[in-house]
Amino acid sequence: MTQPFLSIRNLRKAFGAITAVHDVTLDIPRGEFLTFLGPSGSGKSTTLYAIAGFQDPSSGDVLLEGKSLLAVPSHKRNIGMVFQRYTLFPHLTVAENVAFPLRVRRRPEAEVKKKVADMLALVRLESFATRLPGALSGGQQQRVALARALAYDPPILLMDEPLSALDKKLREEIQAEIRRIHRETGVTILYVTHDQEEALHLSDRIALFRDGRIEQTGSGEDLYLRPATDFVAGFIGNSNFLAAEHLDTSDGTATIRLADGSVISGVRANGTFGRGEKTRLMIRPEAFGMERSPASAELNVEIVDVAFYGERRRIVARTAAGEGVDIRPTSAAMQSQDASPCSRQVFFDPAAAFLFPA
Amino acid sequence: MSVETRRNFGTVRLPAGFNGLLPALVLIVLFFVIPVLALLLRSVTEPEPGLQNYAALLGDGTYARVFFNTFLVASVVTIVTVLVAFPVAWMLAIMPSALASIVFGVIILSMWTNLLTRTYAWMVLLQRTGVINRTLIAAGVIDQPLPLINNLTGVTIGMVYIMLPFMILPLVGTLRAIDPMTLRAAALCGASPFQAFRRILLPLSLPGIAAGGLMVFVMSLGYFVTPALLGGTSNMMLAEMIAQMIQSLLNWGLGSAAAFILLVVTMALYALQLRLVGARRMSGGI
Amino acid sequence: MLLDYDRMGWLKIALLGFTALVAGFLLLPVVFIVLLSFGSSRWLAFPPPGWTLKWYQELFADPAWLDAALTSARIATMTAILAVAIGLLASFALVRGQFAGREILRGLLLTPMVLPVVVFAIAIYAFFLRLGLGGTTIGFVIAHTVLALPFAIIPVATALEGFDKSIEDAAIVCGASPLEARLRITLPSIRIGIFSAAIFSFLASWDEVVVAIFMASPSLQTLPVKIWGSLRSDLSPVIAAASSLLVGLTLALMVVTALLQRKLRT
Repeated sequence: MTQPFLSIRNLRKAFGAITAVHDVTLDIPRGEFLTFLGPSGSGKSTTLYAIAGFQDPSSGDVLLEGKSLLAVPSHKRNIGMVFQRYTLFPHLTVAENVAFPLRVRRRPEAEVKKKVADMLALVRLESFATRLPGALSGGQQQRVALARALAYDPPILLMDEPLSALDKKLREEIQAEIRRIHRETGVTILYVTHDQEEALHLSDRIALFRDGRIEQTGSGEDLYLRPATDFVAGFIGNSNFLAAEHLDTSDGTATIRLADGSVISGVRANGTFGRGEKTRLMIRPEAFGMERSPASAELNVEIVDVAFYGERRRIVARTAAGEGVDIRPTSAAMQSQDASPCSRQVFFDPAAAFLFPA
Repeated sequence: MSVETRRNFGTVRLPAGFNGLLPALVLIVLFFVIPVLALLLRSVTEPEPGLQNYAALLGDGTYARVFFNTFLVASVVTIVTVLVAFPVAWMLAIMPSALASIVFGVIILSMWTNLLTRTYAWMVLLQRTGVINRTLIAAGVIDQPLPLINNLTGVTIGMVYIMLPFMILPLVGTLRAIDPMTLRAAALCGASPFQAFRRILLPLSLPGIAAGGLMVFVMSLGYFVTPALLGGTSNMMLAEMIAQMIQSLLNWGLGSAAAFILLVVTMALYALQLRLVGARRMSGGI
Repeated sequence: MLLDYDRMGWLKIALLGFTALVAGFLLLPVVFIVLLSFGSSRWLAFPPPGWTLKWYQELFADPAWLDAALTSARIATMTAILAVAIGLLASFALVRGQFAGREILRGLLLTPMVLPVVVFAIAIYAFFLRLGLGGTTIGFVIAHTVLALPFAIIPVATALEGFDKSIEDAAIVCGASPLEARLRITLPSIRIGIFSAAIFSFLASWDEVVVAIFMASPSLQTLPVKIWGSLRSDLSPVIAAASSLLVGLTLALMVVTALLQRKLRT
């Protein structure tokens, strides 16, 4: 069996009576971009700090190439980290900031010079070398922090919500930078965020945290298209939940009855349900279409309002049973004159609908 | 990230605990707490054990006069300082920064100039034949020189001069923290400038006024130099009396008892001040 | 709209006038004393009948003045060094430490600032008489360090509170040991606070009168004690000359502070 590059084993961290991380186990291969995604207080940052060595876990272990990191103090772990807030050393120039980790490692001056130049080129801030951090924008500061964290070629780069202080446009720009740098350097990145879009754009794999545990690990596509739990379905992307009565399951697909009495078969069952058991059917707003296709199921709704969102329209609708439904067809799929309140049928592929426990 | 993780961040790796306090604590306990406690002990043991020193201080009319004078001077100084400081702090809080920095410069210059130097200047300015009396006579305002020194007037002028920066600087902070929007809203609600001042601006700056005023009062109670040089013999203040009891009369028992009374009053007011603003805020307000 | 500078009308004029008056009041003694020191009248007549430098000549001719100034400078320098060193350690513990009674200890360390100096003066005077430290340089330095400590702790602790601990953590992740991170990153970042602490503790000792009056001996006099003694005997213009030099020193200190702060900030 090949040894995982970085391995988190049964990590648990309690602060007094509060347990921030319950039991996290995760293997990360070399070169992966893995994101810890989850709401605040779900234990993702605490897990990251345990890897950085800022917090000692209550139990469990963190192994790098099979060797435990726990006895190694932070400054000897050789890990790179970019923080949530701008942590540039305010009295040092950009170049001196990037040189700092090399200087404390007593590297020869020529090597330091070369590495600083390389790193500033990597984050495209060569012309800012002699500036002080105070003269830089937030986005530039985080790019310098990134250069500093990579200057000593750490095998792992930790990023703790590094973009949360930036505005949306800047955030997208730096996300692209981070992807490029990951590609060019091949460094293993552990990235913490509560922003699902950011996680989907950036990561090879996402570990979704909830209440100190990992709810599901997988690629963004996995989490979006094949959510393991209703929490995952609710956290990643948008979703409608409709009350449903389970009738029968075979080969992982179920037949259910909705509150308006319509029977739908072929939906994916997440779990095993008894006959007549109350369940919830999850359908993504984007999964609805306005035209019938051979495999599609139908849903009778009353359209309350239609709003134009650019590439998509957003329809606020209600089922006969009074449940709200969010529908987002592409703008091209629907004429704007259809916007008047009316009753009509909308269609969806049952294979893209998931059944969860109530 | 939660507050809790933040806190535990460093303490695990760095022994950022108590150790750093040790030199400071040794210094303060050995050369501040113990000497002061020893003084307290002296007040109940000299010349013989008992509370007779306190009985003498509190029972005697001459001493009562000194206590009364001390409180009178401290009260007058505090009131005048607050009244003078408030408009200045108000302007400093909103005036263009170039102009404000000039005024701040003057305040700092006055504050940092040697205390005795400033007091000496007032002694010369206020004396019978001093500039102020001469100017007033030359202008025809008065015929006879006013008695401006060696009395309550002299002490008040000199003390207000010294206390003003201590009142103005924290008050600027309080006033700057008030959102101008609230006053615009008050005006839109129909409040006249006077009503807006009385009902909005003044109540909002009251915590700053109370904290600063209390500080000035406490400092004035125990002030020694200025009253000793600008005050008269008939209105001696407590600190001067204590110094005299020790230095000239060598009456350690009575002097320590008086010092202890001053200490208790001061500390009680200091505690009140801490409750008002909190130790943290206090320490930020230098 | 009482907090809108541009929309206050006549009220602004009145308040600005008052502010100018108060600024004049604050400036008056300082300017007056400097003018007086160049005046030729021994009786401090003002405006002076003529201008002269003789009071400065008298001042420099008397070695006691220079002696006192040097003594003050020596004691104040030692006090500033001690107070900043002790205050720096204490500030880290007060700001970063996690232990019970932290606020109470903070209050205790700041108490010398609020306790009337005269109380501390007679207490430490009596104490040092017993220890044989009265009238010695070391006695002066210890007593002044107690008084200066709050003025050292406050600016350093304030600077430290405003300093993001994540920056120190970042240095540690970069490979600096915790001590190295503090020395190379944290201390330089709070240098304005440390610098203010040094100035304030120096001034706390340099200007200190009350303890000095009690502790001084004929062989060890600080400048304030010398001025105090002269003031009590007469209002000689030599004091004005000495005072003017002190004003000059204050101005120099202010200029240095302003320049250094500007330099440190950029």
